Amino acid sequence: MNLKPTIGIETHIELNTNTKMFCRCKVVDTDKPNISLCPTCIGLPGALPVPNGKAIEYITLLSLATGCTITRKGMFHRKNYFYPDLPKNYQISQFDLPVGESGELQIILDGKKESVEIERVHMEEDTGKSTHSGTGRIDSATSTALDFNRSGVPLVEIVTKPVIQSAKEAVAYIEELRQLSIDLNISEGKLEKGNLRFDANISVAPSDSNELGIKVEIKNMNSLRSLERAIDYEISRQTKAYLDGEEIIQETRHWDEARELTSSMRSKEGSADYRYFSDPDLPNMILSELFIEDIRNNLPKLPSEKRNDLMETGLDLDQANILGKSDNWIRELYFNVFDNTKEHSSTYNWITGELQGQMRKLDINFPPEWFSAELLSEIIGLIKENKISFTSGKTILSEVLQKNISVDEVATNNDLYQENSEEKIVELVKKVIIDNEDIVERIKEGEDKLVGFLVGQVIKNSGGSVNPGIAKELLSKELDL
Amino acid sequence: MELKNLSIRQLNNLFLEKKTKPSELYSDIFDTSASSESLLHAHLSLFEEKNIDNAKNSDKRYENGESTGLLDGIPIAIKDNINIKGELTTCSSKMLSNYRSPYNATVIEKLNNENILYTGKTNLDEFAMGSSTENSAFGLTKNPWNTDYVPGGSSGGSAASVSARSSIGALGSDTGGSIRQPAAFCGLVGFKPTYGTVSRYGLIAFASSLDQIGPITKNVDDARIIYNAISGHDSLDATSIDSNQINIPFDKSAKIGVIKELMEDGISDESRNEVSKVLESLKKEGYQIKEVSLPLIKLSISIYYLIAPAECSANLARFDGVRYGLRVEGKTSYEMMQNTRAEGFGDEVKRRILLGTYALSAGYYDEYYGKALRARKKMIDEFSNIFKDVDYLISPTTPTAAFKAGEKTNNPLEMYMSDLCTIPANLAGLPAISIPTGLSEENLPLGVQIMSKPLTDMSLLSFSEVIEKEVDFDTSPKGLKK
Amino acid sequence: MSDFDIKNIAKLASINLSAEEQEKLTNDLSIILEHVQALSSLELDTNMEDVFIHPLEKELKLVEDIEIDSLTHEEALSNAPESKDGKFVVPPSME
Repeated sequence: MNLKPTIGIETHIELNTNTKMFCRCKVVDTDKPNISLCPTCIGLPGALPVPNGKAIEYITLLSLATGCTITRKGMFHRKNYFYPDLPKNYQISQFDLPVGESGELQIILDGKKESVEIERVHMEEDTGKSTHSGTGRIDSATSTALDFNRSGVPLVEIVTKPVIQSAKEAVAYIEELRQLSIDLNISEGKLEKGNLRFDANISVAPSDSNELGIKVEIKNMNSLRSLERAIDYEISRQTKAYLDGEEIIQETRHWDEARELTSSMRSKEGSADYRYFSDPDLPNMILSELFIEDIRNNLPKLPSEKRNDLMETGLDLDQANILGKSDNWIRELYFNVFDNTKEHSSTYNWITGELQGQMRKLDINFPPEWFSAELLSEIIGLIKENKISFTSGKTILSEVLQKNISVDEVATNNDLYQENSEEKIVELVKKVIIDNEDIVERIKEGEDKLVGFLVGQVIKNSGGSVNPGIAKELLSKELDL
Repeated sequence: MELKNLSIRQLNNLFLEKKTKPSELYSDIFDTSASSESLLHAHLSLFEEKNIDNAKNSDKRYENGESTGLLDGIPIAIKDNINIKGELTTCSSKMLSNYRSPYNATVIEKLNNENILYTGKTNLDEFAMGSSTENSAFGLTKNPWNTDYVPGGSSGGSAASVSARSSIGALGSDTGGSIRQPAAFCGLVGFKPTYGTVSRYGLIAFASSLDQIGPITKNVDDARIIYNAISGHDSLDATSIDSNQINIPFDKSAKIGVIKELMEDGISDESRNEVSKVLESLKKEGYQIKEVSLPLIKLSISIYYLIAPAECSANLARFDGVRYGLRVEGKTSYEMMQNTRAEGFGDEVKRRILLGTYALSAGYYDEYYGKALRARKKMIDEFSNIFKDVDYLISPTTPTAAFKAGEKTNNPLEMYMSDLCTIPANLAGLPAISIPTGLSEENLPLGVQIMSKPLTDMSLLSFSEVIEKEVDFDTSPKGLKK
Repeated sequence: MSDFDIKNIAKLASINLSAEEQEKLTNDLSIILEHVQALSSLELDTNMEDVFIHPLEKELKLVEDIEIDSLTHEEALSNAPESKDGKFVVPPSME
């Protein structure tokens, strides 16, 4: 029997607003605990929430960028549960009226465009951070220490419909979502800092079935690598269980990075009753047509649009995807150089290959201010016209990255211009033929490989300034090959 | 006449005319509390020492002609569910008996700007849940008119203090009648403003959509002065609104309505009589009176006792021994929280939290909480309609005068029923005031309640003054031994 | 009301109740809920969509993303029952 997996991903994106979601404490990134707090974010008696307008703008941006319908008469709900890192022992979230609903995200999977349907996009607040002391494992800790700096930071939760079909697709989805949030300027998108966190819901069912299997939630995947491995592991675990006739329990499992498996968390009796009700401290949030239009007009170019623009210059989807995800200056450079040279392939290779490589060697993150698209265009142009070799081009690039100097100056100083005049090259060829009679004999007897040796001699005798291609051509002509 | 019996305006005049000083009034007040407190236990904490310097500064300001307003140098008592920075805010609960607030409520910031002097924090029913102040974890407060009787609740301490003259005025909070009912029981004016016109930031929340802070005073003008000082939009409270007033007439062109359902069974003859008396004198002045009906009012108690507990069950979840307040140990955090809440909360608070938790729980939301929200909306619409025909609604404030301590503590429902007249104003966000009008057979005060539509607070106060003048009630408690 | 489970409610509310408390509260709450039945069985033509959160039906006002200084580190920890190295300390919490 063939089983197919169904995956849904729940992602939390930390918004990079200046202040927290329901209070004006600064959002901080620090090791010093409990330094950005107010009565509201540590749940002091008498404190009240006041909503951050920028966060609402950001979530509306994200909702529009994923084609969601925006809820007009919205509200916040209290999600009630007790936990030490949740100061009020309820989280302000959104239940049945999220900001955005029913959208989609275009992703690139195996060189093709796919669409992942989005169920909802809603606003909520983050909790504080718990550190368990003792052996470090939750179930043998001796105490828990709490830092509330993160309490109240704005989080957007995005939930996909259960439409993802493989671990690779899940990874492609997260990569795309991450890029989108960076492009929209609503998040730093650093996974290692927890700017994006994700949980997966996975089930398996027979391929020909219309129904979904028992859903298992997987938590604690901290990187794309663990996301992929955890999903793959869970799919095989469930597949094996299904085929063995074992019961798959609806539960939450924890991805164990060290042991590379998912394990059952202490199961709670029944599912949690969060007793959602509309938060009486926050009146209805009415998003006007004007507000929404304003935000729509401020949408920057989306990753899918950027990819299209790049593909129009001749790049393929994978190349467009890579440049699409690069820093803005790289893409700008590409377009400017392409405009000059009309060579999409060389431009792409020079920028993503040689330029990046040399910058790494020089240990710089950005090219110097004198570096321009014109410089790179010139180099590419000279190579195309055979005026310099590819190797010379690399040398010139290295120089202009380190010194404010013209391409011509470098080429001239280093004698990089290639001799292209046929007359001169024929002379050199003839001389080499005379000086290497025995080699010429062997070539005429069939040892074609030795032509290369003679070309090398021509180049050597020219002091390196002869175009190898032309030298080979003329040599062959002289030898009647 | 003794200073402590005067109104704010009268005192301010005396200060301005340099006939007396704030520090004199201040010692007068604290002399009074020295004797009244042991008898009545209105205050949980007295600030006498702390404010001596402030009183002297107030003296200097008046001397130099630099006083800041009507309230400069006036001693005011604050209900102990309102945060004053650096002071204990206990909510009369074991849970917060050692909690010292690191911030000021917005109303306190505003009163600080007015340079009032704080007499201290007053006793209340624990977390403002109750109608007699018997639910305080720190002992009862007694009614100055007769110490066998309760002062009402939950702002019983504030009312007892003003009545006993250990403060000139007080702040209370009102969720289902907690300002108006104790004011009525103690023969005082108690005013609950339009919902949202006074900031709730720093008021320890009971039921967020119902709570409002308001004044308890000896006369309407004092209530007006305090209201003006504490009201206004606050950017720290998302439910607060600009108190841009709508003006309605308060002269005889104003139309008066009497709510039929609040003059029927469940209300004592005595209470009904007070309303009739007031109506008679208004008729004599030429006011038009008509009877109005709001059948849904009969379900007010049910609506309230689903919404308020639901909201409070979440509002009180933060009391868990983690960041402040009482902590009772446990092997795990969960145990610690459960133990702390078991010991920190009194019976009434537990009752309401559990009731609220149930009303919101899976499977019961629609039947209980959801239903209550819809009924509340309907009531709001019905009031809206009624206020197209009438300007003011008059009713008794309470079904009876004060009851004896211990009389109603056995049956929770009985206690709840006494909120029948006051709850509707909280449900609909209406401004409502209680004015003392007479005495019961047992010589305990009775009050009459007036309500008007949202944002007509100033007109309501002006209309109340008309009645106040007619009635001319003496607010000095007859029972209190001097 | 027949499936009113005080133990479950107390667990949701995180309050440890003694056996006597459980009994008394079950009783108290039953009385109150009985009174509330009149409301539960009432037919209402008002829908949830008509309900506004604010009794005066006011809309939410969004606030600017500008920092306001509030509590110092010491003030925030001033009432902590237990703290160490600047953090609040509690008995171990399980997931």
